[in-house]
Amino acid sequence: MSDIAVHGVGTSHFGRAPGTDLVTLAWTAVSEALADAGPGPIDAVWVGTVFAPAGVAQRVLRAMGITRVPVVTVENACASGTTAFAEACEAVRTGRYGRVLALGIEQMSTAFDGAITPEDTDPEGATGLALPALYAMAATRYLHDGAVTPAQLAAVSVKNHAHALHNPRAQYSGRYTVDEVLASRMIADPLTLLQCCPTSDGAGAAVVGPARGGAREVGVRGIALRSGAPWGRRSPHVWGYDIVAETAADALAAAGLHAATDVDVVEVHDAFTIGEIVTTEALGLVAPGEGGKAAETGVTALGGAHPVNPSGGLLSRGHPLGATGLAQLAEIVWQLRGEAGGRQVDGARIGLVETMGGGVSALDGNACVVAVLEAP
Amino acid sequence: MPLAIDSRPAVWFHVDVTVVDPRPRIVVAPDGAPHVAGVRCQACAEPVAYPWPACPECGGPVVAAEFGPEGVVWSATVVRIPVAGRTPPYALAYVDLDDGPRVLAHVVVDGDGDTAPAVGTRVRLRAGAPDPQVEVIG
Repeated sequence: MSDIAVHGVGTSHFGRAPGTDLVTLAWTAVSEALADAGPGPIDAVWVGTVFAPAGVAQRVLRAMGITRVPVVTVENACASGTTAFAEACEAVRTGRYGRVLALGIEQMSTAFDGAITPEDTDPEGATGLALPALYAMAATRYLHDGAVTPAQLAAVSVKNHAHALHNPRAQYSGRYTVDEVLASRMIADPLTLLQCCPTSDGAGAAVVGPARGGAREVGVRGIALRSGAPWGRRSPHVWGYDIVAETAADALAAAGLHAATDVDVVEVHDAFTIGEIVTTEALGLVAPGEGGKAAETGVTALGGAHPVNPSGGLLSRGHPLGATGLAQLAEIVWQLRGEAGGRQVDGARIGLVETMGGGVSALDGNACVVAVLEAP
Repeated sequence: MPLAIDSRPAVWFHVDVTVVDPRPRIVVAPDGAPHVAGVRCQACAEPVAYPWPACPECGGPVVAAEFGPEGVVWSATVVRIPVAGRTPPYALAYVDLDDGPRVLAHVVVDGDGDTAPAVGTRVRLRAGAPDPQVEVIG
């Protein structure tokens, strides 16, 4: 069915590792992905990162014997890793290269004391809009419109922290109650600390090549990449909705699927609780206004009709920006191979990855990538 | 006499594009009312809060335009964490200026800045601060 396949994946552990060199984190992910893929050449490398120093990709790769090949580093905010993956897939699909490595790396703990703010050269950054506040604007609006309740927002955090109990690579995990989530420190009204992703370091990698029908190959059935349209009063939606909906429509069409509800398991960009709710609606996994209820009633939990973020998501697994997309991809690959252990979605055949990065004023996101994958 | 570099839309010569500060610029009109100095698309009428050379919606030509002074809160929050150069808590709102663009603004409130205006609240631009600012009216 698919012409392109993921031959192997790997990740580091996710967490704060200010004493660990970013290059070392990357080696962990690349080594695992290469071993997982089995012997063969790497003909080119795409690397996604947002804040890593110049030349970091070559510093990682030289120590692993990956030299003399094209190495391209891309930046697309939180979607940098999935952008690298999308470009790797396209390079294979067009026959430009045979077997390509996609790598995502980020060390946030040495770059930020607390929340990220957009660039000072951007209006929102210069006005003091920390990223949690951008998502808080969407949450406030959803609350006002009666599209979500505070308890439903908190339910996303409860769910994803519980999912991560079964993910040994996750930065955090725990059994929280809705009340505990709501009682945690307020960051930007109405989002509390446990509704915000942590500061994380980590790396993820994937080897992409032509589909050969291997027993452990996960097919790339459709993938799409977009930047955001202007976001303002013309849109009836909160920030970040339209870009996800449009990119998902592209990816689902490329995959020959009618709707996201045909997908068995998804990893979405839950940098903040409201993000998962808006995204599940934008993907069409649940009806508009039903995202909060879906989290509250277990529809999006492991064992529910549409499991979302079995890895723990960005909220609990962690969110090293450039690495996140490849961490999401690795989770879906493991799910579709039946290798996800205690968080396995039974019988998962079709999986979806969605990453959305933003921060540029007046745009509905810097980039969004949606990929549809299928089991071997 | 402006330097003719190329055939970009005439707006290049009508608004000051040399300012480094990226925040929306609030100017005071002759009647004393504060306005955001931006542009409007001549093709699709999209209002833009910035002196950009073309319309972000359709790429059409733009002319200088002023927006405000009043608008309505689309959404709002209170930032309660440290942000470089600022003292929390402070209230921010996305404001839909009347017949104008959506702009991010600080909300001037009495007391400690601990309160965000409700969605739908009428607000009015204030001039004289580096940040775009609004105050609640009526």
